[in-house]
Amino acid sequence: MKKYMFHRIALLFALFFACVPVMQAEESEEASFDAKEIIFEHVLDNYGWEVPFSHSNRISLPIIVRDKNGDWSVFGSHRVMHGENYKGFYIAPDGDFKGKVVARDEAGNEYRPLDLSITKNVAALFITAILLCVCFIPMARWYRKHPNGAPRKWFGFMELIFDMLYNDLIKPVLGADARRYSPYLLTVFFFIFFINILGLMVIFPAGANLSGNISITMVLALFTFLIVNLTGTKHYWKDLFWPEVPMWMKCPVPLMPVIEIFGALTKPVALMIRLFANMLGGHLIVLVLISLIFIFGSMGAAVLTGTTVISVFFSLFMMLLDVLISFIQAYVFTILSTIFISLARVRGEESHEQTQIKEKNEIV
Amino acid sequence: MELFTPDFGLVFWMFLVFVILFVILAKYAWPAIMKSVDERADLIDKGVTYAQEAKSQLEHATDNARVLINEAQQKQLEILREAAQMKTQIIEEARKAATVEAKKIIDAANVSIELARKESERQFRQQVSDFALQIAEKLVRKELSGDKQQSELVDKLLSDIENKN
Repeated sequence: MKKYMFHRIALLFALFFACVPVMQAEESEEASFDAKEIIFEHVLDNYGWEVPFSHSNRISLPIIVRDKNGDWSVFGSHRVMHGENYKGFYIAPDGDFKGKVVARDEAGNEYRPLDLSITKNVAALFITAILLCVCFIPMARWYRKHPNGAPRKWFGFMELIFDMLYNDLIKPVLGADARRYSPYLLTVFFFIFFINILGLMVIFPAGANLSGNISITMVLALFTFLIVNLTGTKHYWKDLFWPEVPMWMKCPVPLMPVIEIFGALTKPVALMIRLFANMLGGHLIVLVLISLIFIFGSMGAAVLTGTTVISVFFSLFMMLLDVLISFIQAYVFTILSTIFISLARVRGEESHEQTQIKEKNEIV
Repeated sequence: MELFTPDFGLVFWMFLVFVILFVILAKYAWPAIMKSVDERADLIDKGVTYAQEAKSQLEHATDNARVLINEAQQKQLEILREAAQMKTQIIEEARKAATVEAKKIIDAANVSIELARKESERQFRQQVSDFALQIAEKLVRKELSGDKQQSELVDKLLSDIENKN
């Protein structure tokens, strides 16, 4: 086995070095290197998925749009990829909808149709979801087959993370509610963790910047917000609208209720922005470091070599850091969701006791 | 600015995919894993307490065994002592009973000897008186001359007999 492994690695290296001259040739064809465009193209969503080691070839993904007349159109993204027009749909080269599929109405105005395309990010979403099912459903089956068994290898590793979340975070924070909320929290954690890690792998089945996309983090934060507010107890709502503060702070001018409600609304926004910004930042830094090679590439061989070495070293360091951040951000999102849920699950007696303890402490 | 504006298509798909993923995992994956992990933790806890109990019980058991052996040895000694006591007691009692029995036998023997003696004396007296009467008869037949001499003779004979006894 080890011998074959060595062969495979050698083959991979050979392929890589074979590709280098091709890439250089492509680069020399493009006269100017627009770092900003390249970086944003990698960070943002696309209608096609790049084939490894080729910039211009894309895997065609289905575009699903509804025009103003209410007619649905489904076609492969390769039909509009290089500025072509298909049934009146084309990708806007500039303007407000730059890079998106647009169409023109009868008056000739450009408008954006209802777009439910399977873009790169949506395809990556499907892949992640399938991967999660493939990981955890066999794991559950293994547990059913081996009651009280301790899993080894891959399942053992997954159980390590599972155990860290379930026994060290969800159970201590939520107590009796742990069983009820842990399916959501575990799904959120592993979903974010998988999309983060897959986002770091640059070639085809992975490599979509999902967690650095605000649509994704917005939906995740929205789910946490909905769960927190739809399963909140009476006391949570009472604390929101009629908190236990002196009367003048809430009666004529609802100062405290406004602050409380504002706090409840900023919580999911903070969740959304934190995950989005952290993951996007990691991707941007690596992309900028790699772009530096091409920017300095025109300044001669010595500068190119120096920048290459430094950039590769730093981007490797950043990638390793991103692996850590991938885990930490998924964990932080889960921790905060757990805490927000537990804060919304306050019981009357408990909160009363807590206030009593607080009062005692203040007196002491 | 595209970076900060959510895209409707992606939000729609994300919502759908996440809901479906959550339903699938919440139905087929998490409950089984949670249940198994909880049960195994309980089992391990139980096992640990059981092992600790067993260990302490084992330690107790050796102590108990030692105590039991000591008790048994003491009991053995007591039993032996009791047995020895009982032995001496029984011997003593037997001896007492034997002396009492022997005394009874001796007494009975004495009584029977006395009776026999009295009987023989009585018979003897009868015989003597018979003899005396026979002698007297003979004497009477032989000579009935002097009464004095006769009675003296009778007396003499009687005292002779008596002296002989």
